[in-house]
Amino acid sequence: MPRFDIPANIVEQTQLAHGIFLLTVNAPAILDSANPGQFCMLEVKYNNSRDPLLRRPLSIYKTRANGQISFLYKEVGRGTRLLSKRRPGEIVRVLGPLGQGFRLIHDRPCILVGGGLGIASLLLLAERINQSGKLIILIGAGNASEIPTVEDFSGLTRYFHVATEDGSLGQRGMVTDLLAQTLQEITGMAQIYTCGPWPMMKAVYHMVCKRNIPCQVSLEAAMACGIGLCLGCAVPKSDGQGFLHVCKEGPVFDADQVNWEYSL
Amino acid sequence: MIHQKNPISRFPNLSINIGPLRLKNPVLLASGTCGYGTELDGLLDLEQVGGIIVKGISIKPRPGNPPPRLVETPCGLLNSIGLENVGIESFIRDKLPWLRNVKTSLIVNILGNSVEEYSEIAKKLDGAEGVKAIEVNISCPNVKAGGIAFGTDPEAAASVTHAVKKATSLPVIIKLTPNVTDITEVARKVAASGADAISLINTLLGMAIDIKSGRPALANVFGGLSGPAIKPIALRMVWQVVRAVDIPVIGIGGISTPDDAIEFLMAGAKAVEIGTATLVRPDTAKNVLAGIKDYMETNSIQNIENLQLPA
Repeated sequence: MPRFDIPANIVEQTQLAHGIFLLTVNAPAILDSANPGQFCMLEVKYNNSRDPLLRRPLSIYKTRANGQISFLYKEVGRGTRLLSKRRPGEIVRVLGPLGQGFRLIHDRPCILVGGGLGIASLLLLAERINQSGKLIILIGAGNASEIPTVEDFSGLTRYFHVATEDGSLGQRGMVTDLLAQTLQEITGMAQIYTCGPWPMMKAVYHMVCKRNIPCQVSLEAAMACGIGLCLGCAVPKSDGQGFLHVCKEGPVFDADQVNWEYSL
Repeated sequence: MIHQKNPISRFPNLSINIGPLRLKNPVLLASGTCGYGTELDGLLDLEQVGGIIVKGISIKPRPGNPPPRLVETPCGLLNSIGLENVGIESFIRDKLPWLRNVKTSLIVNILGNSVEEYSEIAKKLDGAEGVKAIEVNISCPNVKAGGIAFGTDPEAAASVTHAVKKATSLPVIIKLTPNVTDITEVARKVAASGADAISLINTLLGMAIDIKSGRPALANVFGGLSGPAIKPIALRMVWQVVRAVDIPVIGIGGISTPDDAIEFLMAGAKAVEIGTATLVRPDTAKNVLAGIKDYMETNSIQNIENLQLPA
């Protein structure tokens, strides 16, 4: 699959909520070969500065037919803070599309389980599944402001449910409560796709593996290169035989490949 | 005699000799930051670089250290990958066939837990088609046994050099650690033991603490610091080693621009390796090479070796 490292023109930078931003760049080449679940490495330093040194990995959130790609991201440190200061008309280097995305399963209902900004890797997938099969979307967060783009998902399917811990949007509770309810209603086979905080994905995996429902997870890890050069983004395998590498073999894995007892 | 200025070719001569090894240009990709080459496919034309030094290979595959393995520091990167690699058998079977078709000099970085292991890997590579040289890692700070244990003890460094030279007819480059009091002492021993060249520096031992969790940021506690932050130290050590030994020296450490590389060449390095900068931008080596050419043309320097400053 071709990858590109290009200077991309910033089209839009919008603060959606406290610390949450939507960045849109013009990157038709990357868009053309991007699949749901893939990510890009974005340069956050200015021009010839050498600090912060590393790029930041961001999921491809949204694509538009005119060649624009959007990234939905949270300010978590210095790098993402600098990125959030970039303005339309400026250039940001983008390397992508990277990694192995979600594998589409067509013969069964697909349940997407997103936690917080984990939804950033699920929108393209939801759009793709929606073209061909039954789609159930479950989204959870601490409160409504943590998932400001939830409306991008709500129109895609009538099987759409939200839970927030403070009850500010949808049902009060956790996304795993929604999943438990959904699983009760499903009699046949299903496919789970999940992305969110590690403890949430771990809970999701434990709920569905008892019923032998396959589960694909999109993982996050500290990353230097994004293309398998440094082997920094290691996550222990469930069989104890070494490590998965999030950037190259992932970020999407079958959940049973991952050692969930490890706490990152 | 009439002094006649040499006509300057439009294309300055960038080719160099590292002992018996001829390189088409002095910009190499450093071990551990270019994978096994395939990872860069489509992002950097490997045939443009002077050589590629693949990820360090051991006798048996190594799973590497538990995560977190990386933490970013000011102008730098701390890592404790732990020499994760596929092992020599898989390297020769699965990686070498692709690599040997790339028209650049393939250098294989090797590591071991004992002198015998270094020797065994060197032997296996001796007959491997496509391998042009061996770089011997006696300087990894991230594994308990081996690696740096050989690099910080001049006598042990000499033993490894002897053993590898005996085991192979390929040119042997010894990669030194900066985590010593006097790097010239190890360099002299290694040179006297038959090394064809020396490369330096490997990473500097460092650490970071995550004050939110109150734990060291790396699972391995300590890691190796690389990136622009270490360049002045690397440059100083290259300057020292160039003046301490008669064999060619390859400069490594924080090189991310043509200017950085030219500094190392001026210090007397015959070639440079691009490391962490490739992680940040895959085509860094290409840009560094282009910048060196520009500099030579602008300053009417016909031959790359003429960049070296007098002692």
